[in-house]
Amino acid sequence: MLALSDYIFYFLAFTAFFSACSVILVQNPIYSALFLASTMVAVAAIFVSLDAGFVAGVQLIVYAGAVMVLFVMVLMLFDLKHDLDAFSPGILSGAFKLASVGVILGLIMGSIYMSADMVFNSQVTPIPATLDPVRGLATTLFGNYLFAFEVIGALLLVIAIGAVTLSRVRGGTHAND
Amino acid sequence: MTSVLPVIVLFFLVVAFGAGILFIASFLGPKKSPNPAKDMPYECGIPGTEAPDSKINVKFYLTAILFIIFDIEIIFMYPWAITFLDYIKKGEGAYIMGAMGVFVLLFIFGLFWEVKSKALDWD
Amino acid sequence: MGADKFEISVNLIKMAVIFLMMIQIVPILVWVERRGSAFIQNRFGPNRVGPLGLMQLLADAVKFLFKEEFLPKKGVALLYYAAPVMALVPGALALASLPLSPTIHIEPFHLFGQLWAGVDGKGYDFAFQGFSINVGIVYVLGISSLGAYSLLMAGWGSSNKYSLMGALRASAQMISYELALGLSLVGILMIYGTLSFGDMMKMQEAALTYGFFGQKFTIPFLPDWGIFHNPIGMLLFASASFAECNRLPFDLPEAEGELVAGFHTEYGGFKMLLFYIGEYGHMLVASALLAIFYFGGYNIPQWLMTLLPVNHIPGNLGAILFALLAHVVLLTKIIFFLWVFIWVRWTLPRFRYDQLMDLGWKTMLPWALVNVILTALWIFCAQG
Repeated sequence: MLALSDYIFYFLAFTAFFSACSVILVQNPIYSALFLASTMVAVAAIFVSLDAGFVAGVQLIVYAGAVMVLFVMVLMLFDLKHDLDAFSPGILSGAFKLASVGVILGLIMGSIYMSADMVFNSQVTPIPATLDPVRGLATTLFGNYLFAFEVIGALLLVIAIGAVTLSRVRGGTHAND
Repeated sequence: MTSVLPVIVLFFLVVAFGAGILFIASFLGPKKSPNPAKDMPYECGIPGTEAPDSKINVKFYLTAILFIIFDIEIIFMYPWAITFLDYIKKGEGAYIMGAMGVFVLLFIFGLFWEVKSKALDWD
Repeated sequence: MGADKFEISVNLIKMAVIFLMMIQIVPILVWVERRGSAFIQNRFGPNRVGPLGLMQLLADAVKFLFKEEFLPKKGVALLYYAAPVMALVPGALALASLPLSPTIHIEPFHLFGQLWAGVDGKGYDFAFQGFSINVGIVYVLGISSLGAYSLLMAGWGSSNKYSLMGALRASAQMISYELALGLSLVGILMIYGTLSFGDMMKMQEAALTYGFFGQKFTIPFLPDWGIFHNPIGMLLFASASFAECNRLPFDLPEAEGELVAGFHTEYGGFKMLLFYIGEYGHMLVASALLAIFYFGGYNIPQWLMTLLPVNHIPGNLGAILFALLAHVVLLTKIIFFLWVFIWVRWTLPRFRYDQLMDLGWKTMLPWALVNVILTALWIFCAQG
């Protein structure tokens, strides 16, 4: 029989799956963005149920609270009728689109197949109950991955400068709106 | 595993309450009587003009992008802040302060550059 | 949620009570706001409906229930109706995760002819808290950042360009001040070294103790509150909370002279009231966080404990009275901060939008960084 925790997982997984499918199946782009935000929230809830509270909070703060707000704001700012007309119809471009999607799908399925063995047969070491997840994260981050941490800081700096510079470019896609 | 169940229950409780109140209000109010003044977008009460969308500032986009970047940097400071005292007690205080010091310097440089380049000046 | 029927039912009742607390505080707060603002502005507030005008908001709520329900003709129905309901969610979910009383232990007892003894036969542990997430503050910040969605949905769903402008400006303001909010909390996290609220309040019980290179100085008559260790952080957190709740002096999104009524221009009747419930819910969470981080939370001061010696009453009744007294202490602090919110609203003039964004990015963010650096140096010196 299914335990209560299984029901919760199936409910959250169904919500995430349904929201993710709705992102691509809904006509209105703002609804797409809002469904993507609800996918992020469902994934954060799954993280909480896996006792990864900090990652869930970070997912909510950064993904659902920052990145998706950016998406929704930008979608509301720009008039998308120009972009919808820019999709080129035709057989050759249609075939090209199908072929590229097929290649990406093949790559994903191949990598899942090749790593399934590693996932199912690896030994899972249980976390000792006395380990606080956030402290463990901090110890690992500032211990083994210190250089990666500093590089992330530099990367964020580059992103900031790049974003500001890109928005200065004259012309752009919707200069006449 | 069940620690997320109360959150889900409370979420549905709140949504049910809000939706229920709106339903009751729509039920109790007078019948809908649309007239042109009510249907048009509100512009100080007079029946308004349907002007096309004016140019909206690109600063909204910049604000959101810079918010994402600085938010990620702040999130990285949280595990550091929690284990700060532990590291000091272990005697590695200078190491941990140096590690975060480099990060904070990059943060400050980013902020300083962004302020200096007038990226977020609203006029 | 709990193993047996007693625990599950108590947890459900607690969640419902906390949610209703958020809703019921609105009539009281609006009354305090209207009378308080009248007092500040040297006029009478509502004083006719009921004694001292207390029934005013009940009359208003009944009036709102009977208003006509309309949708602007070009409005998007789903977003338009979902936005006020979504405005309630962040405040309620955040309030339910705050511990409003310490955890008390209930010994096994007999009721309805059955022994209720909990999972391992040792009784129950309850706190006046909807649910307990052990990463406390990160969860609250995450849920509060979802508040931007109800603004954006309201602005877009109204299909009114003024609403849309108001919603975009409101959400840009909200995300700018979330940075200052998050960063000002780093200072308090460094001092307490934990993310959970209960542990933070437990560390504020003793008398004020400063360390200096291993020596300790104790000031006996002041409690060990967060504000004495991190005053800049408290000012930053309080100011950022004002901006997060869209309260004056940061309430340009709702300003009447500027954008009609901002993102809730096209809302009338009870939908508008749901937005206000959401805003007051945010204020309640912000006041509670201020009390928990910087002002000692539910710790009962020593003089109050000697006045009402509830810890000498044995058994379950004593435990419940202790939790109740702690809760009343926290509630007093929260009510004081809510009054400060209202007081500031009617005292200061409103900021212009570019002044507001400049303040958030160019003043508060650097000061928050300075706060982090100073606190780090202070802790370093204190430990020696």
